Amino acid sequence: MKKKILAFIMAAATCFSLTACSTSSNSDSSDNSGAGNSNSNSNSDSSSSDNSGAGSSDGSTIDLVVWGPEEDQTFLTGLIEDFKNQYPDQSFNIQLGVESEATAKDTVLTDPSAAADVYAFASDQLNDLVAAGALADLTALSDAFKAITGNSIDDIMAMNIEGSVAAATKNGNVYALPLGAGNNFFMYYDKSKITENDVMTWDGLLSAASAAGKKAGMVFNSGWYNGGFFLGAGFTASMNADGTTNLDWNKTSADGITGVQVVEGMISIASNPAFMAIADNDISNQIAAGELCAVVSGSWDMSTVEAAWGAENVGVAKLPTYTCGGNQVQQGCYSGFKLMGVNGMSKQVGWAAVLAEFLTNESAQMKRYEARQLAPTNIKASEADAVMANEMLAASIAQDAACGVLQDVGGKYWDPTATLGELIAQGQLKVGDTEAIQAALDTMVEGVTAPVE
Amino acid sequence: MLFNGVIKMTTTDTSAKKETFLSSLGGFFKDFIAAVAKGDFFVKLSVIWWGAGYIRRKQFIRTLLITALEAAVILFSIYFAPQYITKLGTLGTVKMESVFNLETMKYDVNNYDDSFQILLFSVISIAVWVVALFILMKNVIAVYNLQLKSKRGEHLNSFVDDLNALLNEKFHVTLLTLPVLGIVLFSVIPIFVLILVAFTNYDQQHMPPAELFTWTGLTNFINLFGGGGLSITFGYSFVRVLLWTLIWSLFATFTTFFGGVLLSLFLRNKRTKLPKLWRSLFVVTIAVPQFVTLLLVRNFFANNGIANTMLRDIGITQVLQNIGLIPSDYIPFLSAPGWAHVMIILINIWIGVPYQMLIMTGVLSNLPEEQIESASIDGATKWQTFRHITMPYVLFVTGPSLVTDFVKNINNFNVIYLLTQDVYTTTNQALANSQAREVDLLVTWLFRLTQEYYNYKMASVIGICVFVLCSVITLVAFGLMTRGDKEGVYN
Repeated sequence: MKKKILAFIMAAATCFSLTACSTSSNSDSSDNSGAGNSNSNSNSDSSSSDNSGAGSSDGSTIDLVVWGPEEDQTFLTGLIEDFKNQYPDQSFNIQLGVESEATAKDTVLTDPSAAADVYAFASDQLNDLVAAGALADLTALSDAFKAITGNSIDDIMAMNIEGSVAAATKNGNVYALPLGAGNNFFMYYDKSKITENDVMTWDGLLSAASAAGKKAGMVFNSGWYNGGFFLGAGFTASMNADGTTNLDWNKTSADGITGVQVVEGMISIASNPAFMAIADNDISNQIAAGELCAVVSGSWDMSTVEAAWGAENVGVAKLPTYTCGGNQVQQGCYSGFKLMGVNGMSKQVGWAAVLAEFLTNESAQMKRYEARQLAPTNIKASEADAVMANEMLAASIAQDAACGVLQDVGGKYWDPTATLGELIAQGQLKVGDTEAIQAALDTMVEGVTAPVE
Repeated sequence: MLFNGVIKMTTTDTSAKKETFLSSLGGFFKDFIAAVAKGDFFVKLSVIWWGAGYIRRKQFIRTLLITALEAAVILFSIYFAPQYITKLGTLGTVKMESVFNLETMKYDVNNYDDSFQILLFSVISIAVWVVALFILMKNVIAVYNLQLKSKRGEHLNSFVDDLNALLNEKFHVTLLTLPVLGIVLFSVIPIFVLILVAFTNYDQQHMPPAELFTWTGLTNFINLFGGGGLSITFGYSFVRVLLWTLIWSLFATFTTFFGGVLLSLFLRNKRTKLPKLWRSLFVVTIAVPQFVTLLLVRNFFANNGIANTMLRDIGITQVLQNIGLIPSDYIPFLSAPGWAHVMIILINIWIGVPYQMLIMTGVLSNLPEEQIESASIDGATKWQTFRHITMPYVLFVTGPSLVTDFVKNINNFNVIYLLTQDVYTTTNQALANSQAREVDLLVTWLFRLTQEYYNYKMASVIGICVFVLCSVITLVAFGLMTRGDKEGVYN
């Protein structure tokens, strides 16, 4: 009997320790690589990684890891082969992994020293990645670019559109190379129900939608979308070096519009029966459900919209103006870019930077455009005929030109702004109740600008 | 009854163990001091050279092994531990600085400090030293016993004898060594590290290896409970989240429990037709992975989901709107406080009841039939039988599992997170300012804090609070349950 109990305990304990092993093996291996990293930096624990690092300049194999999104894998594989052919004197061992641009930050920040040498990410993640040391300062690597490609970092950045350069720059230093634009939102509308003229203003859009028995939809409970109303009215949001955010939405903007007026404008849109406040991440479902005839979304929903309305009926336009304090104000948006970064902890930072440049140059951007319709940031590529003829990209670019503001906010921005949008969408704030609106704005600003504890 | 017997056995065992653990610790120290005081020169010497006692008894393999172990500990203490332990007070002072070297195409990196490595390896070093101290004391006692045995002229175990013993009378030691080692390495040490993080400023702005973090004392705890000059509503949110966590676990545990009891009673009832069919149907819901079910249900009850569309078509939504129950033209099943709270508990009943039904079917098949029979002869109604015989019996047998269920529900991440993530946006600005929502449990709040905001230090503080909460509830509940001897009642 006793033996049996022991055997049972043993089995249970073994299971436990096994699962413990397997779950922590991940962090374990990353710890090792962390240790390896410091070893080669003369922390002197063991010598194995020292050896592998020392001789690489004289022709030994250079190991690099690249992370790109799922839809880029095929053409990245091709580009990497081209890269190897471009530098035949140097032997490379380049591995390609899958990591979406949208989630790159989460994976990289788990342990930057275990992350890829070169990875693609969305521009709003730049601040956090720089703070964690997960992005190499490319300005300091300018000599490497010059030596290998013949172009300095300034030359490379000058080939890209202005907004994308700003998105990749922080405190005057370049931290990433732009690879694509169009990470913003604009208006899709059903041409069979709504005219080009209707979609100029929210008032026109909503009355046309109402006449067609349909709805116009937008996400209100996300700071990414609802911030556009404030940005269009001349308000700003920016981030400080310590990770805190500056927000002036409870005051009066540079255009002389008060935050209360903006909220009242949003309330009158939200309270219109022809308006549908869509939950964040529910846009695609709602487009497919068929109740909408116009929706604010981005390039990622193109295929859903085409399936729902028929490709010939899909119209795209920049965002409408909205009534604010008796005037029409152009609704703005955060503009976003896709960037390629070099890991600040990379052991082969020089070659990693050269590879990143190769994966984002003009021909790479053209190939990326052909593969996934992503708007190029390279000026020459964006002037190519095929790109110019693309209506959706034109809308996205027009939106950026009209009112795009580079997204530069800290982590505390999101929940309070989402809550303000939800308060408006649910009708808990009323037009005319300026005190309540002002109080809500004050509370939101307090939350957004709170110190990072 | 076997089942009760097992429960009783384990409870008495634990209480017995508790006493013996404390007293044996005291006894261990006493033995050690006695051994040092009364032992001969070699026993005393083995405090410094662990092998001394064995070499006196001509046990060379043991001498070799224990000396090698001691050498390993000494080498570890000289070459590995100091570089981390010496920095434990500050968690490092040298920040990482990389300078690009065009010759090698690489960074030249300074000899920087990695706060997390310092913390982790310091804890490991301390753990090694604690174990080494234990081995030292145990060893001195062992060689003193050898001295006594040889004085009495008894047979001294050779190394081969020892190996044999490990396969026979000491087999449990052999069996348990590996698992215990695993638990220490993969559970105890990480837990210590995570607890220590609560006393640092490890967050988004202080992420090693690029940045250093350092000790901040009790600041994080003070912030959590409303102190500190920060404008953040952390304390406010903590109280509300904690309250909902407790309410949720209470309801989640007892609704599924009674649901399971009722369902299995129905299925056991002689008048129920095709009980096996019904039972199988309920079990099918277990076969579908929980997260699939939850995500489907979440979409089903979304603001513009199927449920709302149907209710609107029938006209129920309009009725509710007219009587002022809802302000919107949809029913906010999962997007408004109150509604979402009730819905989460209801959905959890649907998901949890089949499991409880299976457990209860087993428990009820052991019902004391004689008592029920005699009760019915005495003219007891069905309700009286249920109330005074079935329920007390079921509660007695499943009491411990109820407590574990309650604790499990405190940490029930899946149901809450999958049902409310991306759907629920709080309209309470004070909660939003500290990234919490009305429907968050401590554990989901913790997840959002770490995963979305990299606020490891606060996550660690909340983690400690959850741990304390769970252990207090478990201890109190088990204490109440095992008080008195209820077993006799059912025998």
